[in-house]
Amino acid sequence: MIGETRVMLEWADDPAQATLEGYRSHGGYEALAKAIREMTPDQVTEQVIQSGLRGRGGAGFPCGKKWTFVPKKTDKPKYIAVNADESEPGTCKDRQIMERDPHQMLEGTLLAAYAIGASAAYVYIRGEYPHSIRAVERAIDEARAANLVGRNILGSGFGCEIWVHPGAGAYICGEETALLTSLEGNRGYPRIKPPFPAVEGLWRCPTLVNNVETLACVTHIIRRGAGWFAGLGCPGSTGTRLFCLSGHIRNPGVYELECGRFTLRELLMDLGGGTLSGRPIKGVMPGGSSFPVLAAGELDVRFDVDSVAKAGTSLGSGAIMVFDDTVSAVDVALNIAEFYSHESCGQCTPCREGSGWVRRMLQLVRDGKAGAGDLETLWDVTTKMDGTTICALAEALVWPVQSYVKKFRPEFEAALAAGIVA
Amino acid sequence: MNFSAELVAKVEGLWKRYPHRQAALLPALHLIQRERGGWLSPETIRDASELLGIPDMHIRGVVGFYDMFHDHPVGRHIVRVCKTLSCKLRGADAIRGHIRSKYGVAHRGTTPDGRFTYMDFECLGHCSTAPMMLVDDEKHENLTLAKVDDVLGRLA
Repeated sequence: MIGETRVMLEWADDPAQATLEGYRSHGGYEALAKAIREMTPDQVTEQVIQSGLRGRGGAGFPCGKKWTFVPKKTDKPKYIAVNADESEPGTCKDRQIMERDPHQMLEGTLLAAYAIGASAAYVYIRGEYPHSIRAVERAIDEARAANLVGRNILGSGFGCEIWVHPGAGAYICGEETALLTSLEGNRGYPRIKPPFPAVEGLWRCPTLVNNVETLACVTHIIRRGAGWFAGLGCPGSTGTRLFCLSGHIRNPGVYELECGRFTLRELLMDLGGGTLSGRPIKGVMPGGSSFPVLAAGELDVRFDVDSVAKAGTSLGSGAIMVFDDTVSAVDVALNIAEFYSHESCGQCTPCREGSGWVRRMLQLVRDGKAGAGDLETLWDVTTKMDGTTICALAEALVWPVQSYVKKFRPEFEAALAAGIVA
Repeated sequence: MNFSAELVAKVEGLWKRYPHRQAALLPALHLIQRERGGWLSPETIRDASELLGIPDMHIRGVVGFYDMFHDHPVGRHIVRVCKTLSCKLRGADAIRGHIRSKYGVAHRGTTPDGRFTYMDFECLGHCSTAPMMLVDDEKHENLTLAKVDDVLGRLA
């Protein structure tokens, strides 16, 4: 049986943990005090590099390496944007940190600010998370009153402001450059990279964009050491990760686990309890809806970033969505296409037009109104969206849809002729 | 402009957080929308333009982009039901159908008594407690049709 290793969620069930007093009673802000008094900024960055921490927003980029992209010598102010726009379908983990133990995210943000020399941090929280917004605002107020946020923190000379910035309902703002454009007071349009945000981000100043869970990990790395963190999980996927189990699973929930020590099937059976109905699993989206589906025969993959990548999909944001054999693959693909066509920002023609075409074609397939050759047309459109846009939203539609057509092709062909009975 | 002194003070507080005032646009629009009955009319947008020093055409573009800003009148409450995959797998389609037929509302429609505006919403981030809906600022998880009726029935 696999079990949880709780680091970020260790105290999450205690309501007092959301308060400064509760957080401090469990060692809170000791890592910050240690860092600003005893460590140089480079030593903090070095610890994060040594820990092997990879970003938890979806792309899995090495965190410490990202920090080193921020220029040390610059005349411009530097900023941090905390990506709390958690919007990937199936993902409900950053919310756990913000609502139940927000100070660990703030402490990680301050550690990052100290490491790169940032003077202000903005926590961009999606507008649909009023509870997170309230909890993080309360935590910042408490921390500011205790001289943990603001000028001259703990008398060290180091200072950093932190502000909550509410979004207003747009998936694309979780894409890091769109987040910056939105934060500056615009429609959330992604920008062409390079320049990367670390060099030219908010107001064309160096800006570090990190996910909520990533920054929470930083706190624990500095508190307990890079070696301790690297000893959890497995090489390439160090530390613990928050996984969100949802869909047709008996025990949905957010679980904190060490990667690489179990297979996806073990996770679904041991912790998930199998399907709610007891019927066979038909498919699993292992990392949100933006990556290819795994079919029933592919569940014995070892569950870590690199093994799942080798299986042709991604651990993404840690969102595992399960469906049993009562569900039509066409219907799931259509639901995914509806999401991305709604959320396309409209900047790039292949995505703006293509996402709608894909959605409408899948609708025709589902309703039995498509004709011979339409699956080929659908496929053709998806290939023309892939790699032709500014950001990855087009691929986030194309890859899963292609995977459904490929892995469940007989269902699509049957639907072409007769439609599906929902 | 006729914004309350409290709102103006809050917006001035927002400006201090950013090196450029335009960055306060989204948080300010949330405040303005709340003060003006839950939506942003052309008149409100002109007032916002004057207060914020941002061209009204820019504000319109922003309002049109984000799902949480409304450019049409809304009911006294906003009901957002998640329709994305995790919720769909747990019965969101039935809940959406139920609300439509029982309360006579379409997506973005308002009940005849003005009690609430209904919206199908993309992933609301409560996937492991699906299906869920957001009523104004409160969340309701593990929904059943009975629970939906109970919550909506209690709206004033």
